Amino acid sequence: MLLAILLAAAYVAYLYLLKPAAPVADTITVYYCKTDGETLVPWKVTMGVPRQPDPAASAVDYRSRVAIYATAQVLAGPPSGTEAIRFPSGTVARSVVVSGANATVDLVGPITSAQEGSFAESGEFKALVWSLTALPGIKTVAIEINGARVPTLPGGHLELDRPLARSSW
Amino acid sequence: MSSIGRSPVRAGSHALPAALLAACLAFAGLAPLRAAAATAAPSFWFAGTSLVLGKTQMRAGEVAVASDDAGLARFLAKLGASLTYDQAGRIVIVTSGDRRVIAFVVGDSRYTAADVRENAPFAPYVDGGSAYIPFLALARTLYVLPVADGATTVLQPQIGGLDVRVENRVTTVTLRGATPLKFKRLSGASDERLAIAFAGVGSTLEHDRRIGGSAELGALTIEVGGSPRNPITTVTFEATRGSSHALVRPDSANDIAIAFAKRGIALAGSPIPDSGEPRPVPTPAITVATIREPPPIQNSDYAPVGADIVPSADAIPPPVLGPPVTVTSLDATAAGDALNVRIGVSGPVRYEWHRLGDNRWYVDLKNATLGIPGRDEQPPGSSISLRVRQLSVAPDPAVRIAFSLPSTRQVDVLPVSGGLGIAISALDEHDPERVGAGRIASGTVAAAPPLAGNASDLWSRAAVQAAARPLVPTNPKLIVIDPGHGGSDPGAAHNGLLEKSITLDVSKRLRSVLLARGWQVKLTRETDSDVFAPDDSAHDELQARCDIANNLGARAFISVHVNSFPTAAMNGTLTYYYKGSDQALANAVHRRLAGAMSTVDKGVRKEEFYVIHHTTMPATLIEMAFLSNPGDAALLRNPAFLQKIAVAIADGFGDYAASTPLPPTTDGT
Repeated sequence: MLLAILLAAAYVAYLYLLKPAAPVADTITVYYCKTDGETLVPWKVTMGVPRQPDPAASAVDYRSRVAIYATAQVLAGPPSGTEAIRFPSGTVARSVVVSGANATVDLVGPITSAQEGSFAESGEFKALVWSLTALPGIKTVAIEINGARVPTLPGGHLELDRPLARSSW
Repeated sequence: MSSIGRSPVRAGSHALPAALLAACLAFAGLAPLRAAAATAAPSFWFAGTSLVLGKTQMRAGEVAVASDDAGLARFLAKLGASLTYDQAGRIVIVTSGDRRVIAFVVGDSRYTAADVRENAPFAPYVDGGSAYIPFLALARTLYVLPVADGATTVLQPQIGGLDVRVENRVTTVTLRGATPLKFKRLSGASDERLAIAFAGVGSTLEHDRRIGGSAELGALTIEVGGSPRNPITTVTFEATRGSSHALVRPDSANDIAIAFAKRGIALAGSPIPDSGEPRPVPTPAITVATIREPPPIQNSDYAPVGADIVPSADAIPPPVLGPPVTVTSLDATAAGDALNVRIGVSGPVRYEWHRLGDNRWYVDLKNATLGIPGRDEQPPGSSISLRVRQLSVAPDPAVRIAFSLPSTRQVDVLPVSGGLGIAISALDEHDPERVGAGRIASGTVAAAPPLAGNASDLWSRAAVQAAARPLVPTNPKLIVIDPGHGGSDPGAAHNGLLEKSITLDVSKRLRSVLLARGWQVKLTRETDSDVFAPDDSAHDELQARCDIANNLGARAFISVHVNSFPTAAMNGTLTYYYKGSDQALANAVHRRLAGAMSTVDKGVRKEEFYVIHHTTMPATLIEMAFLSNPGDAALLRNPAFLQKIAVAIADGFGDYAASTPLPPTTDGT
């Protein structure tokens, strides 16, 4: 009898140990702005890469990793065929530095010389700010153009010389 | 919107390309490469020329290329792709020409391509400050396959993706190329059977494909011919009887999209030419040199209301200025890391302060001269530096007191007995104001209590008094109109029209209407010119426009713009506000615009635009219509329409002025 109990307990323990760990959510939520210029649509993308601290890799800045990945997704925009306000094709984040509650995004490419209308500017940056502030701990997003803070884009509309937040809209 | 039968096929996620790649690797493609790699940099044939990768290593039989390799950069540039290596996050991100995100993480042999997990032959690693990634795995994901051609490995661009969307009785097929697709429409093709040849690309797609869920398109077949270096892929579309097709705008420059529908259903596209490349996705980048300004609209074209009134800059009486006041003293006292400054003046004076993005803060005293020596110092015990100077001389003398702050310190400004008090706190302000203005009136100066020695008292008093003191326009009859852009900054350019020309045209019409109704008007620019200086910075240019309104103490600021958008379909009229005091003005103007114009009403929105943020009076920015929309552009070509806009804005301002009484002045006037 005792042996049977021990065997049963061992079996239960075996099953417990073999039970796979609860899967860590493998997606992050980013946003795009619909062409009405107002509606922000959440859209999940596969992170697909480690984004939790790995004890063996303490030098890795996981917040930066997730932030630059999310930024790349926003700059690329939602899947083809989706009606969305999109950053000019070829616009790239050279870096995304997370410090405290702020993420600083350094943009290069066509956006730096684009003469966009205010409508497009607003939708693009709204999507970027919403996406990055959806990440834990990030409240504001500072924009750099070619490595420098600028008051506005060349088109001269949205003010960029101080960090943007969701409350900016 | 309905969407059925959307069937993405991607090279990176499909068994066929993987099999093709494996076959290529196994049979010949990389044999020479492996042999050569040990002794020389890998060399490929790509896009009609030799491609040499300089910073490479071999790992697990695969070429590991450094993220900063010049050859890799050339390769990616040809594909319209970009690469970012984030050292802190140890992640390499490549964005393909068709806007897919591919992520490699150091130490992880799995990578993500357009939301699909893939396995690489080895895990990316760091060596000498560069991240090394699997080159051929990346190439394959970018729709480029290595193909053997004798002893040479050709990197052959592919048509690697196919999307079919069925929506509103229109079936749209998008073919995704590694590079922009050059095509030739084959002769003899009918509307029902469309055959297109793509030169220079192979294909990883299935050869035969039936299209489900589409009433317009039954099937398509793909044939690959040519040679490894000069492949040709022919795609044949079998449409149903009675259908038509058109070339539509794709989302990326590497794609080609063709829409099919029954005849009689309008397709938003153009006929497929005999040959060509898909029109690249238009980026809004505009080179000024390529823009040809249309001839100016002649005044004789106008039929303006109030045309008998000739607008003139002289219509605005210059501000009545007395003799300049003198700055008689300046005392700066550090209290810990705070700084308390008292500026003595000889009489009433207007002032305006600004906070810059780099934590500089300054106040300008208008119509003032410096009666004490200039100063450039850092008060003992303070981390704040101070500079006092005569900013400009007659006829517009001004004194500037500037501070360089270590952070976004809280700064309070308050007229005090005999002058102005400035208290700089040791604490930071989370979301500080950027601009402010006020006036030290004679009565206020005489009645104000002496400046307290305790900075916190000053802050408290400043906050209370500032909150109780609404902005008072010193020119309550004056409206400043800001024609957007100008001079070296053309603004948007579409459909043969320039934003800067239209904004100036409407602004002048608006001035005529307002003058006829008894208002005073100042335009920030009268001609096609920059307000600050040619080719100036956006900050200088926009601040100069704000300065005009702020310095004149205008009652309202109206900035006139025309919108643009990357796609032609976007249209409509928008009105913006930012400050709380702007909203009533924006609402009133937009209500009239929406009632008078035939454009789509896109409403009133809050937006942090520079000129409506940094003006101290109620301000609004109007985007009259979309220059990029053919319909809106046609309206903007019509002088009668421009006149209608001007009258509507003037009507809106009239409504606002009638419903928004002016606050009393600070000195009781």
